[in-house]
Amino acid sequence: MKKFRKRSLIYPVVMTVLTYLPILIVAVYSFNESKLSSRWDGFSLKWYAELFRDDSILEALGNSVFLGVTSSVLAAVIATAAALGMAKSNLPLKQWVEKLALLPLIIPEIVLGMVFLAFFSLLGLPFGMLTLIIAHTAFCIPYIYTEVAAALESLDYSAIEAARDLGAGRLTAFFTVTLPMLSPAIISGMFLSFAMSFDDVIISIFVTGVSVNTLPIKVYTQIKTGLSPKINALCTIMLAVSVLCLTVAGMIKKRRENREE
Amino acid sequence: MKKLALILASLMLTSTLTACGGSDVGKNGTLNLFTWEGMFPEEVLTEFEETTGIDINYVNFDYDETMLMKLQAAEGGDYDLIIADDYIIETAIAEGLVQKLDKTKIPSIGNVNPLYQGQFYDPTDEYTVPYGAGVQTIVYNPANVTTPIEGYADLWNSALADSVGIISNYRVINGMALKVLGKSYNTTETADITAAGTKLNELAPNIRLIKDDYIQDDLLSGEIDAAVMYTSQVTMAKMTDPSLEIVYPEEGIGFGIMAMFVPSKAPNADAAHKFIEFILDPERGAKCYEYLGYYCTASASEPYIAEEYRSFLTLPAEFSRDNMEMIENITPEADDAHIAVWTEFKGLCE
Amino acid sequence: MTRKNRRTATLAVLPMYLFSLVFIAGPLVYMLVLSFMTRDTFGFTDTFTLENYRKIFDEVYFKTFLESLKLAAVSTAAVILIGYPFGLSAALLPPKYAKFFRTAQMIPYFVNSLLRLVGWIILFRANGLLDKVLMALGITDEPLKLLYTYPAVVVGMIYVLLPFMFLSVYQVAEKLDLTLVEAARDLGAGKVRAFLSVTLPLTMPGLKTGIILTFIPSMGLFFIASILGGNKVVLIGSLIEEQLMRAHNQPFAAALSVVLMLLTGVVCGLLMKKRRDV
Repeated sequence: MKKFRKRSLIYPVVMTVLTYLPILIVAVYSFNESKLSSRWDGFSLKWYAELFRDDSILEALGNSVFLGVTSSVLAAVIATAAALGMAKSNLPLKQWVEKLALLPLIIPEIVLGMVFLAFFSLLGLPFGMLTLIIAHTAFCIPYIYTEVAAALESLDYSAIEAARDLGAGRLTAFFTVTLPMLSPAIISGMFLSFAMSFDDVIISIFVTGVSVNTLPIKVYTQIKTGLSPKINALCTIMLAVSVLCLTVAGMIKKRRENREE
Repeated sequence: MKKLALILASLMLTSTLTACGGSDVGKNGTLNLFTWEGMFPEEVLTEFEETTGIDINYVNFDYDETMLMKLQAAEGGDYDLIIADDYIIETAIAEGLVQKLDKTKIPSIGNVNPLYQGQFYDPTDEYTVPYGAGVQTIVYNPANVTTPIEGYADLWNSALADSVGIISNYRVINGMALKVLGKSYNTTETADITAAGTKLNELAPNIRLIKDDYIQDDLLSGEIDAAVMYTSQVTMAKMTDPSLEIVYPEEGIGFGIMAMFVPSKAPNADAAHKFIEFILDPERGAKCYEYLGYYCTASASEPYIAEEYRSFLTLPAEFSRDNMEMIENITPEADDAHIAVWTEFKGLCE
Repeated sequence: MTRKNRRTATLAVLPMYLFSLVFIAGPLVYMLVLSFMTRDTFGFTDTFTLENYRKIFDEVYFKTFLESLKLAAVSTAAVILIGYPFGLSAALLPPKYAKFFRTAQMIPYFVNSLLRLVGWIILFRANGLLDKVLMALGITDEPLKLLYTYPAVVVGMIYVLLPFMFLSVYQVAEKLDLTLVEAARDLGAGKVRAFLSVTLPLTMPGLKTGIILTFIPSMGLFFIASILGGNKVVLIGSLIEEQLMRAHNQPFAAALSVVLMLLTGVVCGLLMKKRRDV
């Protein structure tokens, strides 16, 4: 193993600091007594109080989590199954359909939003959570499909054959060998999907209905009505929660690894 | 770990419930109110819910066009009461997406200022009740602007290089150049519009930013020295910094009206009428306009507007229907010409 | 046996097959049809026309396409130059450090991108944080007026798109067989040659994914141009948005979208094709 030099840490550290600088600035100003970011009037928690008084933001957060989880799980099932079966299936035009499924990756969001709105109303679907889930699943599928397809290319088929030789049934072999080998790809695809769904404003604005607001829509409309430190407070909380979640996830993983050793 | 999963599951469950339910909460039904963010103070909405037992479901759109697309997609259903801009309401009415108001349910309709009635989008006032109006106004910071500004033409002054902000509405901004050339906002002569474009391009070096939202913040923070903005922004700017100068351009005033209407297949049109009546209450209306920051369109509310706001929320006396012009829908060809002029202008600003 | 296999495979593909045909092909066909329609005062009529496509070649719109391409190219190039070394150097660190940097790049994903951009506004605005720091240090003596400029837009683009490049490169570089690089060095290759002949080709797939994930959004992220650029930088995305939201000219918006999709499709096709050749 090559010796690790402290010097090689410099660039990643600088970049990481730059990544967090703007977020931290937003966080600092969330504690500003003044409404204007051009002035510092002292420390205050009043923007947090105002944020928590706003039920609609909390409701929007719930909607966003539900939407993100549902559409990335749906997309994971659809995309993983398809990636596994693509080579052997004999559906007509399957290569073209594969390309079709990946298209949302290269379509600007605003275009997707517009065509979904027009098309859903053509089909007479009720606008709301259902249309949101369909639209989000559509743009989540490519992320998972490309990850899984890439993982399949480098998959170690001998392990699956070995399991089959040892008498494992097809399902058993799939669940005990193939799926675990693909799971890093599926998980990283789902992660990306969830993040995309959780951050999407443009498509959601078009396809949502009367009673469903997502968090990004809420943030977007709030930013448009003026930069209030309430928004900064929301940003700070989101940052804190994601740091917390990823740290906890990391700790759980580490503990499990330690136990396995 | 299990606990975490449980919390997540319950979170998902509640959000499913709120996503699916929502319509049967209020004991007297729900009012689906579809408009921009921040149109009513929270306490007025709560008061309505408490006194009528009708739940308000406040839904936002960002642009009038988004509203229209969604209303078209819902074929005039889903929403009970919509507040939007004049020109888009004309379109909605033309497409049969709006129902006639039942005036017997709105006894206070007489509180509306007639100045804002009988306009192009609803000439006989059958479909709409105005809620707020605005004029395009120039606001500048006298500390940084040495040559006085009296009209649009003064924005072309080279002393204002890279320090003017404008709203992002092409009919308003192109219209500014049209006014400088002595034309109407609603001209359909493409030659006039192209000429306005040439004039507008000369303004490009002075433009620092083009945006619709919180443009007053940029004026207050010193990012720009002068701006063309909407009335609500003028109100907010003046309330924060009284030293700012307000200019009603001498070339002529362009104004716009926001109005409430009930979609053709509104699920709860009755609640919508109740809400309109509720807002027309003079005292309550005054509270709304103070919050909204646009000109008060209900004469009966004017006396109740607090002193410090009154000058911002009532139209200066020298304006009447004769010297103001509304921006109306025009022919597709003229509109295309406007868009081309606007796109070229924005490209030059950078 | 093989027939059964085939049937299982077909069943597995079916959901995506149907989903794509209904919910992706359907809307896209609709968009294509829309792009040949004629606008009128209150919307559009179904009279066939090629006018929408002809109009794209009008000087003013064509220039917007070129400008937008230029911005996308500049942003993508910057993201490559900054993000590729970042992903690579982080991935080659000992796992403990590498994982830290990866997690650090993943966290911002969960913070709304609009919220993150607000930080740059606070930093860049006249008499904002950056101006105050620079003036306090005596480096400048008047506000730089950085907000609402072209560079501000590029910074915003880089900021939002960098994590995509980082993660794409990181994922590939993580699996990089360092013994190959060392072997090349042992065989007498200089640092640069070892990089060009071994590291770069091996990490190319990640770089290409990163380019796709950067280039395509950078043509459409109109809210960055709007928040940080004061709307003066016109992207194709802004143009489509405006046609849709302001001019209610849906057919022209659809035609612009079709052309934009073809353009991005060609770019992706080129990148993907080369990947197969390697």
